[in-house]
Amino acid sequence: MKLNLIVDGTPQEIEILAPAPHSRFRLDGGVERAADVAVPGPGLYSILLDGRSYDVQVERTPRHLVVVLDGYRFEIDVHDPRRWSGRSENQRGADVETILAPMPGKVVRVLVAAGDAVEPGQGILVVEAMKMQNEMKAARAGRVIAVTVKEGATVSAGEVLATIA
Amino acid sequence: MFRKILIANRGEIAVRVTRTLHEMGIAVVAVYSDVDRASLHVRMADEAERLGPAPSSESYLGIDRILEAAKKHGAEAIHPGYGFLSENADFAEACEQAGLVFIGPSAESIRALGSKTAARERAIHAGTPVVPGTEGAVTLDQARAFAQQHRYPILLKAVAGGGGKGMRRVDRDSDLESALRDASSEAERAFRNPEVYLEKLIERPRHIEIQILGDRHGNMVHLGERECSIQRRHQKVIEESPSPLVAQHPEMRQAMGEAAIRAARAAGYYNAGTVEFLVDPDRRFYFLEVNTRLQVEHPVTELVTGLDLVKLQVEISAGAELPFRQQDITWRGSAIECRVYAEDPYNHFLPFPGKITRLERPLGPGIRLDACVYEGWTVPMEYDPLLAKLGVWAGTREDAVARMIRALNEYEVGGIRTNIGFFRQIFQDPALREGRLHTGFIDEFLARDRPPAPPPELLTVAALAAALESIAPEPAAQPASKNGGNAWVLAGRRELLR
Repeated sequence: MKLNLIVDGTPQEIEILAPAPHSRFRLDGGVERAADVAVPGPGLYSILLDGRSYDVQVERTPRHLVVVLDGYRFEIDVHDPRRWSGRSENQRGADVETILAPMPGKVVRVLVAAGDAVEPGQGILVVEAMKMQNEMKAARAGRVIAVTVKEGATVSAGEVLATIA
Repeated sequence: MFRKILIANRGEIAVRVTRTLHEMGIAVVAVYSDVDRASLHVRMADEAERLGPAPSSESYLGIDRILEAAKKHGAEAIHPGYGFLSENADFAEACEQAGLVFIGPSAESIRALGSKTAARERAIHAGTPVVPGTEGAVTLDQARAFAQQHRYPILLKAVAGGGGKGMRRVDRDSDLESALRDASSEAERAFRNPEVYLEKLIERPRHIEIQILGDRHGNMVHLGERECSIQRRHQKVIEESPSPLVAQHPEMRQAMGEAAIRAARAAGYYNAGTVEFLVDPDRRFYFLEVNTRLQVEHPVTELVTGLDLVKLQVEISAGAELPFRQQDITWRGSAIECRVYAEDPYNHFLPFPGKITRLERPLGPGIRLDACVYEGWTVPMEYDPLLAKLGVWAGTREDAVARMIRALNEYEVGGIRTNIGFFRQIFQDPALREGRLHTGFIDEFLARDRPPAPPPELLTVAALAAALESIAPEPAAQPASKNGGNAWVLAGRRELLR
């Protein structure tokens, strides 16, 4: 099965020819390679590739997968070309600005309401965690379509807080 | 000796103090807020008492509630840890009035040294060198006159301050007025005191501090220095002992040690304390402030001296004399500590509380880990993001750096973000490895070094892992589908249907 990946912004295609434990795959139409894959825990992969041992941690976040290995961190979007119905999101994405929670925390202030006109740089809401406050600002001018959280709400990183069009 | 002590703190420091008290055969009373009910410090304690809801003002800063808890459980003394009430003179006084021993200096010493400007005046009188600065709060005209005399850059600081709040660098006269106004309003918000004083800014300084220890009988020693030059936003990130600079110029230890003792004696100090200095590129040192408590970074001193500072604090508070003199103190090898924070170094170091789904701890030779975390624990969003202090000891600094890198490579925390990966990166920097440190190191590192490009093979492995994860079943064990397939099987079927 073929998957389209975006690894830190760069598109890649990976074809999985066999799953774990004796995985075979092809990257960007290159040569077929074999990797021995053990899964010691959820989101944990011990991968032996060409005799080298890699210990990989994969986290699911609302927006993408975060892969950590050897001190490097990769943000990877995975699209199954046959399942992927990119149209709806792309169309919506064109002129809608989505304000996402930058970190897990609590919404301490909501500064706008649905219908308000906003200027670029205008504060939309304030998220607080561990004594640090973070004001989320509008990137460009528009009108607030919705504020999807209330003051006092607990949010996770990447959660949609408000939309502006 | 005490039979039971209440620890008025949480997190790693409560765990660390508990360990020593248990070694001394002293029972521990923990206190907790609602979100800390399942925290390690409560689980390790012999007795525990709820303080109140999560906000510090209703829990760990509640003097009356803490004293009530101590009475109820029959504690004889209170260890305040660091932060919270540890440098609150009113708390120290309230303890003594309630018939409890406050494990720390006297309320008078805390008052005398707690205000930076008062501490500075005492240091001047004691003959300890200080950075040129104003004697107290300044007006704009006074600030301008100072800048003309000592030249820019200058640093504005909150009189009641700490932790970098209300601090501003000013490089030119045209910026002075607005900087003074901003610093003052920030100080007002943070400390309810808008007063700002100023100092000549020392460029590329090192931060080197002296650990002191005194008993109630007039004996005082220093336990050498810690270098804490690696900071981010005025918060220490890496600490070590000995300082690489002092290791090259051993006479500095005695000179700074004696200056520190003079400054502390002038305030009638006893128990553990730290005198902080800035050191300029010409190795001149200047008094900065006194911290009248156990420091976060005390383990590196313990690792090179072989002493237990918490045990000594408790013994001193029970009235004992120091069990050694200055000439008995020896230093051995090299110790380094990294502060592991729940924060995302790839997203402006924003805090990242949450549930820890996976934890692999570094182990093996020369490792000391002071932590409050366990797998399955949720790091609360209400408090400081410090999760753990990873300390290493080795015979030489070079070996200690190698050991730290090895330990960082073994350390994995899943479910939340931490700065462990960032430490792995900065320990590759030649200046850090060679001990050429200054307090602007991290800012310069971040400005200069985009993270190095990963080797192509790692990209391949990452892509493979991501692909395998995305075709694996959701982690929240979904009910098996009726046709008995997991996601891979389903994917295979789709493959056939193509």
